[in-house]
Amino acid sequence: MHALDWVIVAVYLTWMIWDGIRLTRRSGELEGYFLGGRSLPWWAVGLSVMATQLSAITLIGTTGQGYADGMRFLQFYYALPIAMIVLSATLVPFFHNAKVFTAYEFLERRFDVKTRAFTGLLFLLSRSMSLGVVMSAPAVFLSVVLGLSVTQTVLLSAVPTILYTMLGGVQAVAWTDVKQMVLIVFGLVAAVVVLVMSLPADVGFVDALTLAGATGRMRLFDFRFDHTEQYTFWSGTIAALFLFCSYFGTDQSQVQRYLTTPSVAQARSSLLMSAYWKIPLQALVLLVGILMFAFYTFASPPMLFDARHDRELRDGPRAAEYNALDARFAAAAAARTAAAREVTEARQRGEAERLDAARETFNARDADVRALHDDARTLVRQVTRQADYNDVNYVFPTFITTRLPPGLVGLMIAAIFAAAMSTIAGELSALSTTSVIDFYRRFVRPVATDAHYLFISKVATVFWGALASVVAVRAADLSSLIQVVNQFGSFFYGSILGVFILAVAVPRANGNGAFVGLLAGMGLVAATAAYTNTAFLWHNVIGAVAVVIVGYIVSLLWKQQSTGIRNQESGNRAAPGT
Amino acid sequence: VSGMRATYVRVIIVWLAVLTGLYLLQRYFS
Repeated sequence: MHALDWVIVAVYLTWMIWDGIRLTRRSGELEGYFLGGRSLPWWAVGLSVMATQLSAITLIGTTGQGYADGMRFLQFYYALPIAMIVLSATLVPFFHNAKVFTAYEFLERRFDVKTRAFTGLLFLLSRSMSLGVVMSAPAVFLSVVLGLSVTQTVLLSAVPTILYTMLGGVQAVAWTDVKQMVLIVFGLVAAVVVLVMSLPADVGFVDALTLAGATGRMRLFDFRFDHTEQYTFWSGTIAALFLFCSYFGTDQSQVQRYLTTPSVAQARSSLLMSAYWKIPLQALVLLVGILMFAFYTFASPPMLFDARHDRELRDGPRAAEYNALDARFAAAAAARTAAAREVTEARQRGEAERLDAARETFNARDADVRALHDDARTLVRQVTRQADYNDVNYVFPTFITTRLPPGLVGLMIAAIFAAAMSTIAGELSALSTTSVIDFYRRFVRPVATDAHYLFISKVATVFWGALASVVAVRAADLSSLIQVVNQFGSFFYGSILGVFILAVAVPRANGNGAFVGLLAGMGLVAATAAYTNTAFLWHNVIGAVAVVIVGYIVSLLWKQQSTGIRNQESGNRAAPGT
Repeated sequence: VSGMRATYVRVIIVWLAVLTGLYLLQRYFS
């Protein structure tokens, strides 16, 4: 990497630490540290929410997905604006007016302590493991680019983030998120501009989309109703609605953000920012992938985008087979380029029939290239014994490192760091808040000074940061454990939404009903995952509906003395006029 | 409350416009 790029990355990392610490006010009090004194402006919180959600995996993986599969994945986000409206109208006023620190604290006020402790524990377990995975993916890529070990790149993103999250609390997290979000969007727009400029002189933006369209990569709506298919219009609008309501409405990493605003109206505005901008932002990420596909149609692509495995195969025992495959791949790619030229020419001359024929030929040539690429991947899987090997995550990194000019490489790497750090910081802050508020203060030391709780929360931030770093470095060894925990986490996403629905919409529901309902919901989702091949998005619907039905019935049969506030007191009074 | 309702209606109108735009994009390029 060029010296200029190193300087850019170093300046970025230093700036984040300095800025994160500089911008903290009232971080010596509990409310200031955890909730920014409930004084952050809605636009900063809105950007922070989006930055936490946009991880480095999005930047690296989703661009690769756009390259290989096109815009189809965008359907996943179609329900997000509706989810934001639902949450703004329902859960947000409840949380805000209850003056809680965490979403789970609200559950004790409404139900009982066991429901709070169980949901809080599920959050801590699943989030700490998934944070390790979120840290590991960009670290692997950055280790290849920067020539450092994975341990070093994990530390490079984790240590600054732990430092400013620990010292500055949620304010530091939110304000650095704002800058990181700006950097990420700038990086994406720069990538689009460079990609369009890198196309051959006679190939324009519309030609690039036409080529993508000819191979089905511009399919944005799949109206088939197939419950086993992950991304269709129906799973994206119905099933994903439940997932987004659960993620944005009940996950502490998101809830904590909008609790930092001074009023319900501002909290709503911060959420509605995602309603307006999430789909266009995700389309921009996928567009980078589409344009990389057009770019590599004309600039001969490597058979494997992952240079490390490419070298391993070339030097390995099956080198002859691999090299022969590579020669066939180069010929197929050249044939595809010729077909692409024909499409472009026919389109530019406005010859409709010729264009139709050319599009069909191009699609067939692209299928040849894909088939050979699949053969190459199969070969890697056989040689390395990695059953799930895929080089899709290396497409964007390869483009950055081999095709961008010095300066821009540093900027894009800083953007990837930004995406990683904004997610890590948000999660760490939420993990620390839940540990202290829902467990330490609740069960260990109910009465202590703010200074004491702040000290414990700083220790908790370092603990969770260190644990996630270890998981990230050892992700390969721990993969089965991570998978189990993540699966466990996915069982509870829809189910926990069901608990919150019971809390705010079913006045008769009690703690016993909510707790038994939660267990029943998770059990049903686990059974669905084990015995059917229903796509995971639908698990959220199954979980939520099961919890509400079982929870309601159990609440009627198993009465409980009120241990917390009822929703008439906490929510109904608060909702009007806000 | 009526202010919020107007905001929600605006979000839904923009949402429908975005989805329609994306659908037309698919029709044009596929």
